[in-house]
Amino acid sequence: MSSILKPTRRTALKLLGGSAAALAAPHVIRSAWAAGGVLNVTTYDKFLPQEFLDKFQKDTGIEVRVRLTDDQGKQYNLLTAEGANPSTDICTVAGHRYSQFIASKLLQPLDTGRIANWKNLNTAYQDAPWARVDGNLWGLPVLSGYEGLARNVDQVKDAPSWEIMFDPQYKAQTSYIVSDFLTIAMQYLGHDGDFVSYEGKPEVAQKAVNEARDLLIKHKDMVRKYYDAASEVQQMFVNEDIYLAHSWSGAAAKLIMDGHPIQVSVPKEGTFGFCYTLNVVNNAPNAENAYKLLDAILASPEVGAAMTRQSGYSSTINGVGDLLNEREKLALTLPQEEVERIVFFSSVNRDMKNEMIDRATTEVKAA
Amino acid sequence: MVSTNTTAGYPAGREASVPKYSTGIAKVVNSALYRYTLGAVVETRIGRIILLAGVPLIWLVMLHVGPIYQMLKISLTSHYPVLPGVESHFTLDNYAIFFRESLYFTPLIRSFIFATIATAATLVVVYPVAYYVAKIVRPEGRSKALLLLLVPFWAGELIRTFSVIMLLANRGAVNVLLREIGLIDRPIPMLYTSFSLGFGLVYLICLYMLLPLYSAIEKIPSPLLDAAADLGAGPFTRFRRIVLPLSRDGIVSGCSLVFLTCIGVFATPMLLGGPNTVLFPETISGFFHGASDKWPVGAAFALIMLVTALITAAIFMRLVGGKKRSAF
Repeated sequence: MSSILKPTRRTALKLLGGSAAALAAPHVIRSAWAAGGVLNVTTYDKFLPQEFLDKFQKDTGIEVRVRLTDDQGKQYNLLTAEGANPSTDICTVAGHRYSQFIASKLLQPLDTGRIANWKNLNTAYQDAPWARVDGNLWGLPVLSGYEGLARNVDQVKDAPSWEIMFDPQYKAQTSYIVSDFLTIAMQYLGHDGDFVSYEGKPEVAQKAVNEARDLLIKHKDMVRKYYDAASEVQQMFVNEDIYLAHSWSGAAAKLIMDGHPIQVSVPKEGTFGFCYTLNVVNNAPNAENAYKLLDAILASPEVGAAMTRQSGYSSTINGVGDLLNEREKLALTLPQEEVERIVFFSSVNRDMKNEMIDRATTEVKAA
Repeated sequence: MVSTNTTAGYPAGREASVPKYSTGIAKVVNSALYRYTLGAVVETRIGRIILLAGVPLIWLVMLHVGPIYQMLKISLTSHYPVLPGVESHFTLDNYAIFFRESLYFTPLIRSFIFATIATAATLVVVYPVAYYVAKIVRPEGRSKALLLLLVPFWAGELIRTFSVIMLLANRGAVNVLLREIGLIDRPIPMLYTSFSLGFGLVYLICLYMLLPLYSAIEKIPSPLLDAAADLGAGPFTRFRRIVLPLSRDGIVSGCSLVFLTCIGVFATPMLLGGPNTVLFPETISGFFHGASDKWPVGAAFALIMLVTALITAAIFMRLVGGKKRSAF
């Protein structure tokens, strides 16, 4: 041993070489192993049913590693920071951020030819106008929802307009996500909350945003709490801290499914709809496995039904409706005239919208 | 103990300094691997200092200085993370935004006022407890008393925050109790107010006040208090003239710790606060996960908060702790 470690030039080189090999080994081994059977998925809690994942892993031998996220921004920032070496293969993008992820080159175009079960996706989502950007589809729509007006039906009998969120009768009993409700307030005031018509007209857009901002500041006393996560609004409804809220439909529907006296509706001024898509990340190390998972999701409506039950959002997969019970259907179904009031988020003019809404959000909170 | 005087392999003239160890240790010490690595380093004084200080230094640099340095670097760039096709360059504009727009002063000032009030409230609440444990409880029972007080802190911060929610919510324990005994018909809205935030914060951070105070009060010699009592000093005079001045170090340490923790606290105000308690950390977080993603601005604001909080704490320590006691 001592002869090996005798500090000659040769031993030093041997040691250096050995150390370099030892340091590089984990990367080499991990890459080789990952290419063999690993899939990294970043998604929301309760989006991918565990039973489905277990079966997928058993059937394919691919180890699925799920990293939970609760915010589009965190996911976006992580992917941006990782650049050309992403640590995730699939990410979950919400409709209002879809175009931002694409513009930032974080996603790769979806090759539907590699998804044999693509035909099982509801035709309304197979080539939806919002989903096709720059001539490509970029993700598999798995769950759809909308921003609704949720209310405790024991306390609030009817809510035909967003105006009820400013009714002094419900002072300190309402809640919303400031950035989302600002766009709804714009709709309520007769403006374009999705900014599509403001392309190239920043002054008009700013005026509309300022009006909505001032409205929210004026009625700040109506708010019990500005929330961020779906679980917060659910908890406030359960604890009867609030009776009214602007809520993503999934959060409210889940409460209805669980038997709470909640209803969610689309008021006459309208609202925005969105889809959650599972997207293959640009430069994903395990893209092949990612496509296998997307295909497996579409293979059976049972998977879609389980996703709906867990998340509260409507499945985009054919045949799921037949598997849901009456209460689940009731939680997910809207009258036709309310469905017609939903406009899906566009991918147009996002930078202007994000910039102005972010600033107005800070102003409302600081006021 | 089996001694050994194996010296084979040492350079000439070094045999005398080889210590005698048990067989196992001797094998390690005399191995070529040890001699040409650790053994060579500990031969000199500088080497020994580097070896001893190395781990704590690496710890400090990697986990304390490193993230702050990274934040400083980000705060001086125009774009971060850098998207493909975008060039990032050096700029001070991210700091200028704070001073240019009054919009951001409100949450910062609110944070400072809130941290000051929370620190004062924590001191008032915790001081009697620390005094009781340090002076009233018998010496043999103090460890048990401290342990009892520390038990809630074994649970995580979030769990304790949720327990406050369960306590103060409209259908929480306090409202249910008040309704059961007929004192109220409708729940009192306690959650998502300045009260719930203050209550939650004091509960969450009181440990940082308790331990320094206990340590300082416990060191005050009891005969001093007895002598003062014999000379006719009443309880208030004894407290004002003896206990309070002698526990000043604990007050300064506790208040500094609590104040600096309160200034940067993020999750608790998000969960317990209401629309009028939005603090500066929440404003900063908006730059990191808002739709327009401005990490450099967020990093600049975080550094502004850090520096302002440290200056405030330093002034407080200088004023209350006295020149000699100040850590700055």
